[in-house]
Amino acid sequence: MIGAGGLAWIDEQSRSSRPEYVSDTGLMSDDPDLVRRDWSSARSVEPLAEVIAGELFARISVPDRLETVEDAHGVAELIAEAVLDRFVVSPRPAERGDRQVARADAPDADVILEVRDLSVAYGAKTAVDGVSLRIARGEIFGLLGPNGAGKTSTLSAIEGLIKPQSGTVFLDGVDIRRHPSQAKAKLGVQLQATSFQSQLTIRQIVRLYAGLYGVAPSDAEITEGLKEIGLEDEASKPFKQLSGGQQQRLSLYVAVMHRPALLLLDEPTAGLDPQSRRQLWSRIENIRQQGGSIILTTHSMEEAEAVCDRVAIIDHGTLLTAETPKDLIEKHKDDPEVRKVAHGEVTLEDVFIGLTGSAIRE
Amino acid sequence: MSSPQSTPGTPLRLVLTSLLRADFTVFLKNRRGLLLSIILPLFILATTNSSTSTHNFGGALFIIGLAIAYGLVSASILGYALTVARDRDQGVFQRLRVTPAPTWTIMTSRLTMQGLANLLITLVVVIVGSRLHHISLSAGTYGLVLLVSILGGAVFLSIGQALVGLVRSAESVNAAGRVLTIGLILLGTFGQSGTLGPTWESIARWSPVGAVMTLFAAVLNLSTWDSHDSLNLLVCGGYIAVFAGIGIRWFQWDAR
Repeated sequence: MIGAGGLAWIDEQSRSSRPEYVSDTGLMSDDPDLVRRDWSSARSVEPLAEVIAGELFARISVPDRLETVEDAHGVAELIAEAVLDRFVVSPRPAERGDRQVARADAPDADVILEVRDLSVAYGAKTAVDGVSLRIARGEIFGLLGPNGAGKTSTLSAIEGLIKPQSGTVFLDGVDIRRHPSQAKAKLGVQLQATSFQSQLTIRQIVRLYAGLYGVAPSDAEITEGLKEIGLEDEASKPFKQLSGGQQQRLSLYVAVMHRPALLLLDEPTAGLDPQSRRQLWSRIENIRQQGGSIILTTHSMEEAEAVCDRVAIIDHGTLLTAETPKDLIEKHKDDPEVRKVAHGEVTLEDVFIGLTGSAIRE
Repeated sequence: MSSPQSTPGTPLRLVLTSLLRADFTVFLKNRRGLLLSIILPLFILATTNSSTSTHNFGGALFIIGLAIAYGLVSASILGYALTVARDRDQGVFQRLRVTPAPTWTIMTSRLTMQGLANLLITLVVVIVGSRLHHISLSAGTYGLVLLVSILGGAVFLSIGQALVGLVRSAESVNAAGRVLTIGLILLGTFGQSGTLGPTWESIARWSPVGAVMTLFAAVLNLSTWDSHDSLNLLVCGGYIAVFAGIGIRWFQWDAR
């Protein structure tokens, strides 16, 4: 924790030179242990706020009472501005519009994916605007948002399919733009609309993609793998002849057969029946238990709530919030916009609609 | 998840072998497309077998050259370009691009298979054409013909690449490819024969089809090679540079 002396140090350092360490949330200190702390949660910031308030009241003379609540808000805003100017390195929320900008930080130092200030634009249209997030090993992270919010563009930039306008993506410490092949070897991907060459059989598809990931399985290993996903009888069929559930199972199998450190799933349950969905979540849970991390996008709030360790809500290309589903509901359950759409107990879907609005997106 | 774990850096040889094996499988299963690309030149050889026709087209060697050029046009524009456009539409390339395989390996594998198809078409046409027109060719000539087929194939493949670079959807590539193929064939046939007058004859001679067929005719009778043929070689190189440049510069992996 920063004490009064620490604050004085920061004050002094900021006048003379840049401090040595800068945390991912923007806090600065000469103490590396200090900057490793997760200062993003309200609980961690609270002591710091107390110290700042104490220092302020001790140093300057303030009137005993302010006339109105608006005056108090005005003073609070000025103090907040000063705190932002002093401590926060990344762009301030006001610079990205009026929307509250959140940073989705992994609570653990063991980070598998780190995305910093990612921006993606298609011509004049900005699809992703300064998104930052960190995913921990073994974490299932849900990226939620209405249609066109920027979910797929964010994933595409992480996958290396599109070149971001700015920002960096580090996968297990590897810069995906500088070393794409090395980074992609650690990545498993199931795209929203997967298609394999229509002339290839399932066995040939598995062999092809295994080779592309540096794996050379024997025929017996391919058969064993297909047996695990219940497709051993379909091995000689082309991909197009499989049912939706079978196609999805094969896509997931192809995505994980090289045991990636991070698996990206873009709307994996779209168009699946309940049985296939249930089976998919069971497989995803297995992958997590084997140490894999997963980022998924979904429109199913129930599934996100049930499966994800943390969820982030993205809209108009900006990350609005990132919390555990429970914390997210707890934090926003009393928001007027959320109360307006809730029927009884507040759900993740109510929070989602409350934050992103009720208007139907194209 | 029973497969063995991958090595940290995917070996390039394994990547290329896997892509080539898959593309070769697709090539074998696309027999119908290959047959169509062979039937058209064989039809030309059969219908121009009379002495009058042979004379109109500048001799048997030019007819064989023209037939090969047509086969290569058909295989490269209707075959290669359309397959690439369809795979792009269906998201096949995007799926391949999220793997560690460098993008150049994906295209190299495809072009290699198309090159193989072009060699096959050339061989069949040269063998049938030489029989029909009673020409005997040495092993060296066959070697030269195969070399020119690589060059000629590259001319039409670069045109196909430019087509998929400039046109996004598979339907549009199909439509534009048909118009282009028919245009090139008509220009080659009627322009080269002189039916449309000297201006069109000159245009046809320096068109991609004209340049390639002249080169084929030249290597089929190497003793007649002159500066005009050397210039044709340069023209073919120019076509490859320009169209490949357009095709690479504007090519999009995603149809959206």
